[in-house]
Amino acid sequence: MEVIEANGYYLPPRLREVIKNFRTEVYQNECITVHLKIPVITGAIVEELADQLKKNREKYLAELPIERIVAVLNEASRRWLDRDYPYRKLALRTIPVVTGFSHEVVEASIDVEMESSLEKDMWRALRSEIANPLYLDAFQFSQELNGYRRAFGPELIVSFFSENIPALPHLLFMRSALVKAACLGKVAAGEPTFAPLYLKTIEDIDPEMVNSMAVIYWPGGEEKTENAVFKKTDAVIVFGGVDTCNALMERVPRRIRFLTHSHKMGFGVIGREVLRAEKIKELAAAVAYDHGMFDQHACLSPHCYYLEEGGEIPPQAFARSLAGAMEEMQEQMPRGKISPRDAVLIHQLRGKYEFKELKGEDCLLLASPNSTDWTVVYERDPGVFCPSPLNRVIRIVGVQDIFQVLPIVKPLRPFLQNAAVAVGDEREQEFIEKLAATGVSRITAPGKMPVPSMMWRHDGIAPLASLLRWCDVEKKDEIGGMVNKKNGETP
Amino acid sequence: MRELPQEVRELDDDILAFIRKGVDHQDAHTFNRLALRAFELQYHHIPLYRRYCERRGATPAEVSSWKEIPPLPTDVFKATDLSLLPEHTVSTFMTSGTTQPDEKGKVTYDAAGLRLMDATIYEAASAFLFPDGLKSIILIIAPPPDMAPHMVMAYGMNQLMDHFGLPESRFLVGPDGFEVQDLEDGLRRSEATAVPAAIFGGSFGFVNFFDYCRKEGVRFHLPTGSRCLDAGGFKGRSREVGRDEFLNECEEFLGVPRDHCINLLGMTEIASQFYDNTLYNLSKGLDGPRCKINPPWTKTMVVDPDTLQPLPAGEQGLLRHFDLANRGHICAIQTDDVGILREGGFEVYGRALEGETRGCSLTIDEMTRVLEQG
Repeated sequence: MEVIEANGYYLPPRLREVIKNFRTEVYQNECITVHLKIPVITGAIVEELADQLKKNREKYLAELPIERIVAVLNEASRRWLDRDYPYRKLALRTIPVVTGFSHEVVEASIDVEMESSLEKDMWRALRSEIANPLYLDAFQFSQELNGYRRAFGPELIVSFFSENIPALPHLLFMRSALVKAACLGKVAAGEPTFAPLYLKTIEDIDPEMVNSMAVIYWPGGEEKTENAVFKKTDAVIVFGGVDTCNALMERVPRRIRFLTHSHKMGFGVIGREVLRAEKIKELAAAVAYDHGMFDQHACLSPHCYYLEEGGEIPPQAFARSLAGAMEEMQEQMPRGKISPRDAVLIHQLRGKYEFKELKGEDCLLLASPNSTDWTVVYERDPGVFCPSPLNRVIRIVGVQDIFQVLPIVKPLRPFLQNAAVAVGDEREQEFIEKLAATGVSRITAPGKMPVPSMMWRHDGIAPLASLLRWCDVEKKDEIGGMVNKKNGETP
Repeated sequence: MRELPQEVRELDDDILAFIRKGVDHQDAHTFNRLALRAFELQYHHIPLYRRYCERRGATPAEVSSWKEIPPLPTDVFKATDLSLLPEHTVSTFMTSGTTQPDEKGKVTYDAAGLRLMDATIYEAASAFLFPDGLKSIILIIAPPPDMAPHMVMAYGMNQLMDHFGLPESRFLVGPDGFEVQDLEDGLRRSEATAVPAAIFGGSFGFVNFFDYCRKEGVRFHLPTGSRCLDAGGFKGRSREVGRDEFLNECEEFLGVPRDHCINLLGMTEIASQFYDNTLYNLSKGLDGPRCKINPPWTKTMVVDPDTLQPLPAGEQGLLRHFDLANRGHICAIQTDDVGILREGGFEVYGRALEGETRGCSLTIDEMTRVLEQG
């Protein structure tokens, strides 16, 4: 049995003295034991840490040109995409042990997250949200304002990471750095290993920049610690369950900018024109990928796909193709280990549908034999949304007409986020218009659900612009003493 | 009502005789033979179950051990009637179904099937709850059967009251809820007369009573021979209390020693009941840690939650019970309880469904909760 000593925290070199007490948590699978070192945090420690991070930011990050910040973050993503990068290799050994995800899923997660976090993505995201990224560096002339304008990020952003989506926390550090804010990340108990490694990368690339970043852990809901950190921060971003978000919302002081990304549910809609024999294999692979990636744990993942009847391929036949695609997915990218609870939920669903099928109801249960690895259930629209117990349980719902889906998802507005849509005929525009009105914030193609770009207005919010405070100078002449008279250009 | 088919009557006679032999015999061979006969009957009479078994290649011709008989997950009873002889139904019991009230599990009994259950209730209680043969004032924190005709616990406790209760015994949940004053009065009478009391009820009922006692400053010192029998969990209807704390409070508020406090595992889907072993051990002079006992007409195995394949002894997994008294529906029942096998029985750690699914996709629970709150 190999033993790996890993850190469930990251403190920048200058702040390593702040924490004195640590404990160790042990995770284990068949061949690896991970000893995870976790700092013991108190209210006083987070206050001290927050002060230091802010001070370091003021000295360096706040003054750093956006171009340099983008270059550092780009270099970090590029390193993580390198298969031989030692931290990546380490993450691929520890994260599966800690989370239960298969090695393949973790690897794919890292690739997906980092491929969409390169230079070009960051510039595009900045331009798409704030027009001119140089507003972050200095006052720039704005035609519309007929004056000068500059954007300031928060001093300190505290981010509560969601558990169990490997490689996601880097996004919060990127967003914070792009608005030149210090960032204190609170990892979730479920996946505390990726974020510390990512910050080690930043440390290697720019040891000054990392001095305004840290990752720690405290048990969620620990009010003393959380209230202490709220005293010191001016922005909070939370990924978490509906209850977590609501509870925090009640305690966060009003002066704090507070962005929440609570749990969401995705779904797909495929029109009859798309359901053609020659397309079916490709489409099944795409839908299998949407479910297989992240084992359906991500908010981006679909719970079900609505398939329109009347096409060349009926929904039942598609379900059978999909079962084949899921079996292939299992070979290429096996599902992770799941808890007894999650296994029971799957067995319960299977039992229910097997008996419906035995009773002669119009439904179909297709499942991996002797395991809960994957499940495909087909049924005709029961008129209410069909959530999945997740972990690769796909629900295919047959509808007479795609527009039937709208009243089904409408009551779920607080949870809507991603929808994959392939209509394939002239109804597409009308359908998308109406679907957008129900509350979804991203419409994409089947097979693209787990891979949003940085341009996505996450949960309908512009994630960078929402963090900024602007200052306008209503003066169309040059500002006296300004060195760079012409607006700078960014790549 | 028509008579039951002859093969059913014959099997019932044999199962009944097996149950009537009590708990102090081990006869694995007869158990297996009866189990296979019950399976064959269910296979032939319940078309859905037959198809379910056929899909798994488990036909009476193929199956030679009770362990190979396909179990049904408890959830199936929510949507499907799996009665052996639906036209002979005399009683229907339903699960409480607190999470989804419209989806209650339902199990039916024909008259002879009910007699099998009655026999298990009497034999198991005689051995595991009243091994001393003592009669007591039985006070039941549950509604009587006429108020809750579909609640199997009310039915079973009523049977216990008939067999083991003194005339002052009674149910304490009426149309206005839990009559706590009546319980207090009953316990005071027991103290005053030194006639032992036996308190039965849902676990949460006990905890709510303990909370009442704490608030009112009430304590009892029940006479020797008094005992507690609690069943079911808390289901959000009282504080959640660990077993150890529960036993401490029985001692603190009632004066009932820990070994006289018995937890009962009963399920609507299973006719028999599983008692803690403490009073039985006491009566036999046996030692051993607290666990549930399998009466000889039942067997329990532990299976892997993912593959549902049997696990070796000593490993934790999902409990699967086989109950001969389930002749009227399906004998093999796959539960969601997590547990481990012990000598002569098993231990239950809790329901697998407690806890949360990880990740940031919305869970069914979360969705239901938020939509209900509006």
